[in-house]
Amino acid sequence: MPIKNRFADLHADITAWRRDIHQHPEILFETHRTSALVAEKLRAFGCDEVVEGIGRTGVVGVIKGKADGSGKVIGLRADMDALPIHEETGVEYASKTPDAMHACGHDGHTAMLLGAAQYLSETRNFDGTVVVIFQPAEEGGGGGREMCNDGMMDRWSIDEVYGMHNWPGRPVGEFAIRPGPFFAATDLLEIEFEGLGGHAAKPQETIDTTLMASHAVTMLQSIVSRNADPIDRIVVSITSFETSSRAFNVIPQKVQIMGTVRTMSAEARDLAEKRVAEICEGVASTFGGVARVTYNRNYPVMVNHDAQTEFAAKVAKSVSGQCEEAPLVMGGEDFAFMLEERPGAYILVGNGDTAMVHHPKYNFNDEAIPAGCSWWAEIVEQRLPIAS
Amino acid sequence: MPIKNRLAETHAEITAWRRHLHAHPELDFDVHETAAFVVERLREFGVDDITTGVGKTGVVAVIKGRTDTKGRVVGLRADMDALPIEEATGVDYRSKYPGKMHACGHDGHTSILLGAAQYLAETRNFDGTVVLAFQPAEEGGGGGREMVNDGLIDHWGIQEVYGLHNMPGLPTGQFAIRPGPLLASADEFYITVTGKGGHAAAPHQAIDPNVAAAQIILGLQSIASRNVDPLASAVISICALHSDIDTHNIIPQVTRMTGTVRALDPEVRDFVETRVGEIATSIARAHQCEAEVDYRVGYPVTVNHEEHTGYAAAAAHAVAGDVITDIPPIMAAEDFAFMLNACPGAYIMLGNGDGPMVHHPEYQFDDEAIPAGASWFVELVEQRMPAQ
Repeated sequence: MPIKNRFADLHADITAWRRDIHQHPEILFETHRTSALVAEKLRAFGCDEVVEGIGRTGVVGVIKGKADGSGKVIGLRADMDALPIHEETGVEYASKTPDAMHACGHDGHTAMLLGAAQYLSETRNFDGTVVVIFQPAEEGGGGGREMCNDGMMDRWSIDEVYGMHNWPGRPVGEFAIRPGPFFAATDLLEIEFEGLGGHAAKPQETIDTTLMASHAVTMLQSIVSRNADPIDRIVVSITSFETSSRAFNVIPQKVQIMGTVRTMSAEARDLAEKRVAEICEGVASTFGGVARVTYNRNYPVMVNHDAQTEFAAKVAKSVSGQCEEAPLVMGGEDFAFMLEERPGAYILVGNGDTAMVHHPKYNFNDEAIPAGCSWWAEIVEQRLPIAS
Repeated sequence: MPIKNRLAETHAEITAWRRHLHAHPELDFDVHETAAFVVERLREFGVDDITTGVGKTGVVAVIKGRTDTKGRVVGLRADMDALPIEEATGVDYRSKYPGKMHACGHDGHTSILLGAAQYLAETRNFDGTVVLAFQPAEEGGGGGREMVNDGLIDHWGIQEVYGLHNMPGLPTGQFAIRPGPLLASADEFYITVTGKGGHAAAPHQAIDPNVAAAQIILGLQSIASRNVDPLASAVISICALHSDIDTHNIIPQVTRMTGTVRALDPEVRDFVETRVGEIATSIARAHQCEAEVDYRVGYPVTVNHEEHTGYAAAAAHAVAGDVITDIPPIMAAEDFAFMLNACPGAYIMLGNGDGPMVHHPEYQFDDEAIPAGASWFVELVEQRMPAQ
């Protein structure tokens, strides 16, 4: 089957919800309006249970099928949060909040899962239970981790969990997936170098933190170029470099650098953490200063489970006639926490030739909605078929 | 079928050849004794044709099958050269030539192919022609390139070509292969940094090429860590650095460095070549020096053809059962790449058991791998050109 007919009918409604959410972007865990809107819609659809406040501002909805002979529970997850970016799309439903924008398409993800929830509540043409999961704070806050820590998987006895992300550069509505490691582990670095500040005309009386930190940035390159297995995938990026003073004539007492480490294996992650500390502390002591290294292990590698990936690809093929093998992505994804707790799979759906996600001109493509919604509905109906 | 019975019988004889070759290692193209030994054995086997001097000191032999109804020609290749290493194994058949050693197992490869040739010449249980290629100078001299340039593929009409390499760390007799890039390209570069020599006590009157060279080495790290796609693989290693003087009170006029570039993709390889040149010349200029970059393209990426990888794996499966078909790429390089660029085919790794890595003075080829290796060559011939 291709797109479900019902989603062609609902396409305009779902698009309207998407644009409403787009106009009111909320950052991280502050998704109060979006969460309320989601909960209200789920109640209006007649979900059997709607619970707010899971993982701070997450929302969970339960939809029971016509039958429950299987006793199986499938989780479907979307993310709701926006990014601290000032929108430059110029669309009429552009963000009303300065420096906040749905630049990653979570507005689309949320609207599509709402569309699927409406259809599933109307038809209930499955044998088991569906749990729809709307999470906050995918963009670095670990909203998925918070929902898991609130006991979501056990509380609703979820057996399998699925997720979806739009993907610019792929034809609209076309799917791609891969088994095994898919998105990278994303760790956060914060390093404070402290030397001895002083007059810029008397460097001999100071311990120059700018020079110290510059050497550290150069040496950190050697983790990728010299330490890591060249077959392994690893990125070490220093993204911020700030001196504690801003002047022409002061050697700063401190420099803070920030960055990220992306890895696809536990070995590479351990290696990077160890080397970052050794390099920064070693460089600092070389110059007579100190380095305070904070290595924050944030999202783990997102690993798709084999059986669920195969199933998700089969469903995608039944919806859009194709499903390609996706390349590895060095970006991170909070859904990793859910996949650590339960088997499941994460799929990409094409967003067409748009700007990349996280770009101020990016916009979710509403034409992907029927394919995305159909995939959700088919995941449920094919995984929990009604005995005939 | 497992190991060919006949090869279990000839195991001792093949081992004796291997140990003879091991005791008489020869370097690069100077493999005269080895080539003569190969020719002598091939004559004893009664092969149909022997040509010497292909690719300087390479040997090509032809074995015709019982029938030739389809005009099929399969090429099998082994390498004959040793390494400039002082052997430290202590075995009683150790190298008789100081400073030379079969530390990469080419003695084993040559003996395995001789064993297969003996079997094939005895049985001729195939429909077509086998061409055996014994090449010199695999270890950097490009003996494979010379043989291809001398018409190995075209003149002898080889339609597909296969080779094997022993691999320490894999259980003895275990086969491992992958389609696509298996081994890396290997290029070398020479950077000459010219400054202005002077007294080490008066650096301000000189232009120090050592400081510029040191900065170039740091700059080159950013190719792998910043420029190359983290999903691709690249290695840039500086292996030697020397200034034109050897004393403690002179700033040299010239400093030279030597390095290697490894990549698994021809485009990455070209890109790295460009960046090495840009970085070296720009950094030198920043230090008021001149850098001259001599980039020498060496062995290409060894790319296994997908279809023929399947044939190679099928033959290995018939011989040894379980075959690893997704071994990760290896950043070492292989001269067989020239043959695979000229003709479809595949290269397979054959386990050598636990023991020192190749190129180590205590490395030993494991004679217990002989029956599996020789059976693989034979099985390939009999499967690819089945007897009528």
